Amino acid sequence: MTPLLDIKNLKTRFYTQDGVVRAVNDVSYTMNRGEILGVVGESGCGKSVHALSMMQLIPFPPGKITNGEVWLDGQDLLTLSEVEMQKVRGRDIAMIFQDPMTSLNPVYTVGFQIMEALLLHNDMTKNEAKFRAGELLELVGIPGAKDRLDDFPHQFSGGMRQRAMIAMGLSCEPKLLIADEPTTALDVTIQAQIIDLVKKLQDELGMAIMWITHDLGVVAELAHTINVMYAGSIIETGKIRSIYKNTKHPYTIGLLGSLPRLDDSPGTELVSIPGLPPDLLDLPEGCPFAARCEYRIEQCLVEKPPLVEIDGKDHAVACWRWEEIAGIRSK
Amino acid sequence: MSRYIIRRLLSVIPTLIGVTFVIFMFQRLIPGDPAIAMLGEHATDESIERIREQFGLNRPLFLDREALADGNIAGFFDSQYFNYMGRLTRLDLGDSIHRRIPVLETLKLRFPATVELSLLSLLIAIIVGIPVGIISASRRNSLIDSVSMVASLVGVSMPIFWLGLMEIMLFAVILQWLPAGARLSTGIEINGITNLYLIDSLITGNWTGFKDALSHLIMPAVALATIPMGIIARMTRSSMLDVLQEDYIRTARAKGLGGRLVLYRHALKNAALPVVTIIGLQAGTLLAGAVLTETIFSWPGIGRWVYDAILGRDYPIVQGGTLLIALIFVAVNLIVDILYALLDPRIRYK
Amino acid sequence: MAQINPEEFAVTDFAVREHRSLWGDAWRRLISNNTARLGMFIVVLFVFSATFSHYFWKYEPKKDLDYSLKLKAPNLVVTEEIPSIHIFGTDKLGRDIFRRVVHGGWNSLRVGIVAVGISLFFGGVIGLLTGFYETVTMTTLERILLFGITGLLLGLLSAWISNQIIQLVGYAILGLLAGYFNNFLSGKIMRAIFFGLLGALMSFLPALLMGFTVALICGTLGLFSGVLLSMTLDGRFFSNFMMRIMDMILSFPGYLLAIAIVAFLGPGLGKGMIAIGVVGIPVYARLTRSAVLSVVHKEYILAAQSVGESHGRIILRHITPNILSPIIVQTTMGLANAILSAAALGFLGLGAIPPEPEWGAMLGDSYRFLTSGAWWAVLFPGLAIMLSVLGFNLLGDGFRDALDPKLRT
Repeated sequence: MTPLLDIKNLKTRFYTQDGVVRAVNDVSYTMNRGEILGVVGESGCGKSVHALSMMQLIPFPPGKITNGEVWLDGQDLLTLSEVEMQKVRGRDIAMIFQDPMTSLNPVYTVGFQIMEALLLHNDMTKNEAKFRAGELLELVGIPGAKDRLDDFPHQFSGGMRQRAMIAMGLSCEPKLLIADEPTTALDVTIQAQIIDLVKKLQDELGMAIMWITHDLGVVAELAHTINVMYAGSIIETGKIRSIYKNTKHPYTIGLLGSLPRLDDSPGTELVSIPGLPPDLLDLPEGCPFAARCEYRIEQCLVEKPPLVEIDGKDHAVACWRWEEIAGIRSK
Repeated sequence: MSRYIIRRLLSVIPTLIGVTFVIFMFQRLIPGDPAIAMLGEHATDESIERIREQFGLNRPLFLDREALADGNIAGFFDSQYFNYMGRLTRLDLGDSIHRRIPVLETLKLRFPATVELSLLSLLIAIIVGIPVGIISASRRNSLIDSVSMVASLVGVSMPIFWLGLMEIMLFAVILQWLPAGARLSTGIEINGITNLYLIDSLITGNWTGFKDALSHLIMPAVALATIPMGIIARMTRSSMLDVLQEDYIRTARAKGLGGRLVLYRHALKNAALPVVTIIGLQAGTLLAGAVLTETIFSWPGIGRWVYDAILGRDYPIVQGGTLLIALIFVAVNLIVDILYALLDPRIRYK
Repeated sequence: MAQINPEEFAVTDFAVREHRSLWGDAWRRLISNNTARLGMFIVVLFVFSATFSHYFWKYEPKKDLDYSLKLKAPNLVVTEEIPSIHIFGTDKLGRDIFRRVVHGGWNSLRVGIVAVGISLFFGGVIGLLTGFYETVTMTTLERILLFGITGLLLGLLSAWISNQIIQLVGYAILGLLAGYFNNFLSGKIMRAIFFGLLGALMSFLPALLMGFTVALICGTLGLFSGVLLSMTLDGRFFSNFMMRIMDMILSFPGYLLAIAIVAFLGPGLGKGMIAIGVVGIPVYARLTRSAVLSVVHKEYILAAQSVGESHGRIILRHITPNILSPIIVQTTMGLANAILSAAALGFLGLGAIPPEPEWGAMLGDSYRFLTSGAWWAVLFPGLAIMLSVLGFNLLGDGFRDALDPKLRT
């Protein structure tokens, strides 16, 4: 089956006064229909930027997509003009963002903002759109949905707003929904609700979801596959089971190790990865993680390791020493 | 919404009272006796006394404490201030000390002149300023942006009176295209109810009148408009730039909305708020600038009239005129606040 | 495969940005901004020529008079008719316009500095105090002081009516008592009755010396004042009150107010400075207050308070440095505005007393000769006004861009 999304060698740069920021460096992966992909990494690793690049939402000065192909259902999105791209956005790919308070326009009603997307991409009358918007709000679990269409964003609570955003994103039944840290700004309890909601919706509607987050816990519940990103590159990718049970990359190991576990004995120290992420203005040659890696060798500093499949398509890792590391760890 | 408006209207009352008080105070504090100003320095004491009696200038300012000491409570309140307030409530603004004409009459005559000038200037400033600001914001750091921003800055820095004089020099003296002063050329008459010549002439179908009035209005209006134009352009630009950074703009784009829709539907409504405030503030600048423009262009408005009255110690005119100006201010602020509430639903629901 | 001992490799190859101070950053941004550079150039030129000419190129305006040179067009070479060079021409009294323009700069500079100084000082203090006390609770001492002063002010009316200074003392004491015994009789009505009666008595009794009706009125005033003072008036109340007054001043068009003040004080450049300064006070008050409000909520203020720093110290060490940015921008633009206002006043004949050279006054003198062709008398002084104002505006703009917190990465 042909994949829904096929990204090849995506590179995005930001040209600033201080230099060139290499935000996305040679990112390639695929997604299938209905797949839930988690994109995990720390702040600044390029996870949001690569998603925005896909949708050509990077502001042109100072940002620029310098290389790559983004194939969505037989079309290379990066070759589309702005006008053509506008037809794709919202309809084939939808994106929802982190902070629902600021992501909704405060001077228009929620209903209007949902209807906007509907009216733009579909041949509907205003009444049909309004009706559909009401249905969507109900779908995402907002009580009294039909009446709340005429409310303004500030009249909704945080969790409700995010639900409304989700409704907006799903309104035109996109093939792919990109969620950029949608629960980061919410309380943990609301977070859980939203995750449940998304799971349920995905079940019902069957769209593919890209869930971008820095929270490994969230992603564990939800995703089928995971891409771990570091300094603009994917350093480990694969089915979720594989990644969690059979972690290969030292960074991912470090990430997982830094999470406290319920079954840790009290007094166990939390592992933290020493050092800081590299300055994207001045990316070193070789593996971006080398400077902080306890397993590094000379080759790591000089040559950047490619993603190597270690279990068919189910697991790949970008590390020169991946085979040995398992050995070292099991000692 | 209506509750907000009522609340807002009520809050105007104390301000108004304060304003009348200050206006009154100021005039009385200015040294110089209007009676002497009127009669000249060599007038007899008797005639001076008579004039002062006539205009109530011999009553104490606020409260007559001697009367109070005598136990006369009614006389206690018989003062310039309370008489003034009493007359105000009857809409009696008194007569000009120098000319003996009721202040209200002259106001009705001269006020439309200033209003027409100010409104036209504001219109020009808005029609030019806002689009320039929007375009500059949408093409940030381009040539258009730099040029228009410098131009606005120059506009803001320009003394109105100098610009007016330069205009006269160029268009009236050298090129002789436009007349140098007054509202109408001799021999032209415009009849109507509003006394706003442009509107009246259009209503009565008086085409020559319209052209003539316009030719007289253009130079002062443009001169008066330069500062507000510059300010509005800059404010629009900076407000738009701020709004364009916001997350909801990104959301709008992610939905597939095109550049122009995003700009005008999503960005503008949010950016409009500070711009509306600024436009409201310009009302003050315009009225102030009116004094200078009216001087240069011999424009028969209230700006110059009040200014002359201040120097001539003609209290009733000063009071009446400044009261009107202050009222306009308060009204404009009120309108701005209401517009704000209309534009930003968050304010309504507080 | 060779293994490198991780400890040998110092963790120094992280790119660490060079240490940059906030102000250094801003300065660098300012310098690189082209329009700001132009503004700086103009301002420096202006200040330099003004000060230099004032101290080294002496000019006595009263002695400058030569009817034979009346209203001559600019000339660059000496001719038989005109024995001296006047690159800007001459005015109606035969004076060299160039010289007067250069010296006028000194007057404009002075006006700008003094006027803005007044606005900044008074407006800044008002804004600082209102913004601060609106959020931070007053110490007991501060509160007592405030109440005392309020009492005093309330007593002014009574004192005037009864012609008794002692009334002031009474009211002040009333205020101090109300402030000190903050918690006495916490029920609002009881408290109001108590202080109302106290106030009435304190005002009535001395006034009896002046007559019964006087005493009656004073007593009533005392009653009201007492009730007022009995209410828990906190910083917020006073802030709002102060701001209302500022708004009232702001509700007058600036020019008109300035004209009125000058009419009151009399002509003269100094009076003009005061007028423009006073008109500007509410602007700076508002600005400072909103800047203070945005800073006072920050955690470091809370931290300073919890450590026990005194209010004065907090204001000086924590708040003031952080509100400087908008104040700097406003001051620069304010200078531009002051010069413009001074010129306007001069044009109308208020402000500088002739024959002092002042750009606006020069325009005011010469504009009636425009129709007879003497364009130079109008062009050059006006150009001087425009350029100097432009310079300050450009500079202020540059400051705004350089100090913009959003641009700090």
